Amino acid sequence: MTFFFIFPIFHTLRLSFLDPNTGVFTFNNYFAFFSKDIFYDSFFRTLKLSFFVISFSVILAFPLAYFICFVVKKKFRTLALLILVAPFWTSFTIRAFSWQLILSDKGLVTWLINKLTGYEVKLNFLYTMNASIFGLTLFGVMLITLLLFNSMITIDKRLLEANSDLGGNKFTEIKNIILPLSLPGLIIGSVLTFIIAVGDYAVPTLLGGGFKPVLAQLMLSTIKGTFDLNTAATMAILLVIVIIIACIPLLSLIKQIRFEK
Amino acid sequence: MKKFSLLNNFLYILFATIVSLIYLPILVMIVFSFNSSKYQIMPFRNFTTTWYQRVLTDSQYIEGLSNSLIVSISVSLFATLLAFFCAYSLVNSNFKGKSFLNLFFLTPLVVPLILIGISLRFFLTSKGYEPSLFLVAIGQSIFVMPLAILNLSNRMSQIPKNLEEAAWSLGSSRLRSMFEIVLPSCKFSLIATFILTFTFAFDEFIIAYFLTNFSITLPIKIWTSLVTGFDPAINAIGTIVFLTSLTLGLISQILFLKK
Repeated sequence: MTFFFIFPIFHTLRLSFLDPNTGVFTFNNYFAFFSKDIFYDSFFRTLKLSFFVISFSVILAFPLAYFICFVVKKKFRTLALLILVAPFWTSFTIRAFSWQLILSDKGLVTWLINKLTGYEVKLNFLYTMNASIFGLTLFGVMLITLLLFNSMITIDKRLLEANSDLGGNKFTEIKNIILPLSLPGLIIGSVLTFIIAVGDYAVPTLLGGGFKPVLAQLMLSTIKGTFDLNTAATMAILLVIVIIIACIPLLSLIKQIRFEK
Repeated sequence: MKKFSLLNNFLYILFATIVSLIYLPILVMIVFSFNSSKYQIMPFRNFTTTWYQRVLTDSQYIEGLSNSLIVSISVSLFATLLAFFCAYSLVNSNFKGKSFLNLFFLTPLVVPLILIGISLRFFLTSKGYEPSLFLVAIGQSIFVMPLAILNLSNRMSQIPKNLEEAAWSLGSSRLRSMFEIVLPSCKFSLIATFILTFTFAFDEFIIAYFLTNFSITLPIKIWTSLVTGFDPAINAIGTIVFLTSLTLGLISQILFLKK
């Protein structure tokens, strides 16, 4: 695994510092990257996309996990969770593509609106960044709900009883008990969602379109189009750096767990 | 209590909305796979199974399918076996740097697949390997290993330690106790891990896209037909793949619960 996993990353790191023509060590690839608008833009577009995806996913996933964990009757709990996460096992690409059928200007939604109201509407939603955010958020919601649920289910129900005995309401229950105790799941879920959103290629291509590429799209077109390996390696390493930064909260979490033991 | 039930109603609606959003595209795909119109637009024309027949006779789909099967079966076999030994040593021994190794095995989880694919391509082509299905198998093994290790070590840590210790004190060798105690008690988990890694490898697209040139897998075939003009047969193949992986996924979940 070291051979096929660690070495390749270091090889990419080395490539990113080599001049494409002469093969000498240089920082120019990085300067070139940030001096070209198209690269620079796509870098920040990627970050923006992932940021929105995480925010929406967390906002939606928290009430969902709460619902499955505390509102749904015990008998149906596994079923509810299973319904929500079953599509995990199915092709992400195909699901993203089906959204094209629904959201395109001649898709299901416009057709329905036309049938119901008689108006011809244009959605102008497909092939925008909003569509990418939408597609990835649905995935993030599934992932974060699953991980949050795992944390929430271990919460001692007596804590909740104590809260209401001491005169607390739903708000204090969530703020003082559920939120802090499910934080590990929330953090792991958000980091994993971020990583998937930052590196995904299929959803931005199928839903977001090619005019405003994210980093992954640019990386692929650089490799398959111009064969400029060094530039592509530079992008890959930038992605690695972003991910390492994103993993910092995860590390603090690991420390915390160790202290508790 | 009145206020809480309001909250609960809201939660029910939220749950229903998200679930329908998750399943809507799949439903649409299944419906359209029986639509006779060549274009993917409403309204629905006539019922047909032409697209299914097309998929089953198109040599490119068949080739992709058989390539995918070969690759993902070898990936899941290899990963499950290797993960069994990794998990065994992680659960049953205490050595310096164990927690580090534990983390190390999980790192591929936090690396986007596109990075695994891209860096492996750089590395292996610089070493003189040509992109091929074999490289795809290597890349996908790296991606499914953490899942396999997680599942198996989860199960192994539940096996009472003294079972094995009893075997040792009765003169059994380490290897024998592993095969006669640990292996049988992990039976269901092993099958479940095998199925799980299989479905993940089978659906995986981006690593394969980087690591093979001419012999394509099914997801690559699907992808190329998606991007280069639409082919309605994709709905049919999508439906088949969806139902198969859903069934396999459910089976593996049931096996996990069974232990």
